[in-house]
Amino acid sequence: MNESNGCPGARMQDFRAAATAEEGTTGGKVKSQLQQWPIQMHLISPVAPYYQGADVLLTADCIAYALGGFHPDCLKGKAIGIACPKLDEGQEIYIEKIKSWLDDAKINTLTVMIMQVPCCRGLLSLAQQAAQSAERKVPIKGVVVGLQGEILSEEWL
Amino acid sequence: MGQYLNTNIKEIIDQFPPVADVLKEYDIGCVTCSLGTCLFKDIVGIHDLAPDEEAALMAGIARIISPDREIVIPAVERKSKPKAGEAGYSPPIRKLVDEHRLIKRWVAVIPKFIETLDVSTESGRQLIRTGIDFIQSYADKYHHAKEEAILFKYFDEHLDIIKIMCADHENARGRVKEMLLALDKRDKEKLATQLKAYQELLTEHVKKEDEILYRWMDRNLSMTQIGELFSRFREKDEEFGNTPQKYQELIAQLEKQLNAEEA
Repeated sequence: MNESNGCPGARMQDFRAAATAEEGTTGGKVKSQLQQWPIQMHLISPVAPYYQGADVLLTADCIAYALGGFHPDCLKGKAIGIACPKLDEGQEIYIEKIKSWLDDAKINTLTVMIMQVPCCRGLLSLAQQAAQSAERKVPIKGVVVGLQGEILSEEWL
Repeated sequence: MGQYLNTNIKEIIDQFPPVADVLKEYDIGCVTCSLGTCLFKDIVGIHDLAPDEEAALMAGIARIISPDREIVIPAVERKSKPKAGEAGYSPPIRKLVDEHRLIKRWVAVIPKFIETLDVSTESGRQLIRTGIDFIQSYADKYHHAKEEAILFKYFDEHLDIIKIMCADHENARGRVKEMLLALDKRDKEKLATQLKAYQELLTEHVKKEDEILYRWMDRNLSMTQIGELFSRFREKDEEFGNTPQKYQELIAQLEKQLNAEEA
C-alpha cells in the first residue's frame, strides 16, 4: 500500500514484496563493526579517543535500517555519530560537536549519510554549518540513501 | 580470449591495426602514446567506460581479432565505487585540478610569449626568466612534486600510466634545461622551439591527468587515503607559504601584459 500525499518523510510505504523477493546475502551472522559507545550525538563526546584522527560517519538514525550492508560497507573502520534532523531537539549542540570533531579531534574525513526524504537534508546542513565555522578543513562527503537501501548519490561538500 | 586483456595495447594494435580505430571511437588515445605498454585490461579499467560502451568496445575489438567466429572478451573487473564524475573530484584531487588551471593559463599565453621573445635586452631576458621560473617553481617544484612525492605513492608506481606521467615530468624538466641554455646563448629560435614543445607536452599532459588519471585515482582511493592526501597537500601548501598566490599574480600580470601588446 502506498499513499501519495503527506510529508515524504512520514508517508506510509510498503516494501514487503521487494524485501522478501530476494534473500539478502549469505544468511549467516554479520559481524558488528561498531567500535564505540555511545553513538547518539547528544551523548557522544567529540574528543573521545576513537574520534581522534578518525574517519567519522555522521548518519541519520534511519540509515542503518535501510542499508542492508551498513556494518561491513559503511561502518567498518569508522567512528560514528547518529542523529535525526527531523525529530531531535537541541541541534545547535550538534553543530558545536561536529566543529569539535574537526578542530579538536582532528578527524581525517567526515561522511554524512542521509535518507532521501527532504527532512533529512537538515543533517547535511548542520555538517556544512559546522565545517564553515571550523578552522580546520577536512574532506566531507554527503551520501543519500534510498528508502530501500540503494545509494542514490555521493557528493563532496 | 581473456589472454588479450593481459596483452600490451601496442602489441594488439600492431597485430590488429583496425583496433586503433575502435579505440579512437571511444576517445581512447593509445595510438599516439609514446610507450603503449599498458595492458588492455588496465586501459579499459582506467577509462571507466559505461557498461554498455565497454561491451560495444569489446565486441568491436573481438570482431577484428576473430572475424570468422564469434568470441567474447570478458568484462574487466573493477571496483564498484561510483564514477568519480558523479561525486566530482575529491577535495585533494580537486586541488591538483585547480593548480592545473593556472598552468593552463600559462600554457595558453606561451604563443604570445614566443612572439615577443627579446633576448637582446636585460628587461627582455628577465621576462623570459620569469616564465621559466613559473615552470620550475610552480608547475614542477610545487605541483609535480606533490604528485611524485605524495599522490603517486598511493598507487603501484610500476603501472604504465604513472610511468608515462613521470616521463612527461622528466621531459618537461629537460625542456627547461634547454630553455636556460638557449637563454644563456641568447638563441631566440631554440628558446622558441623549446617553449613550443613544452606547450604541446603540458597541454596533453594536463588533459590526460584531468580526464583520465585523476578520475581513475579517485575511484581507487579509500576515504581514509583521501583524508590523508588532503592533509599532506595542506602541509605542503603551508611549506610553500604565499608562493601559489605570488604565481597567480604573476600569470595575471603576464596575461595583461601580453594581451595589451597584442591590442
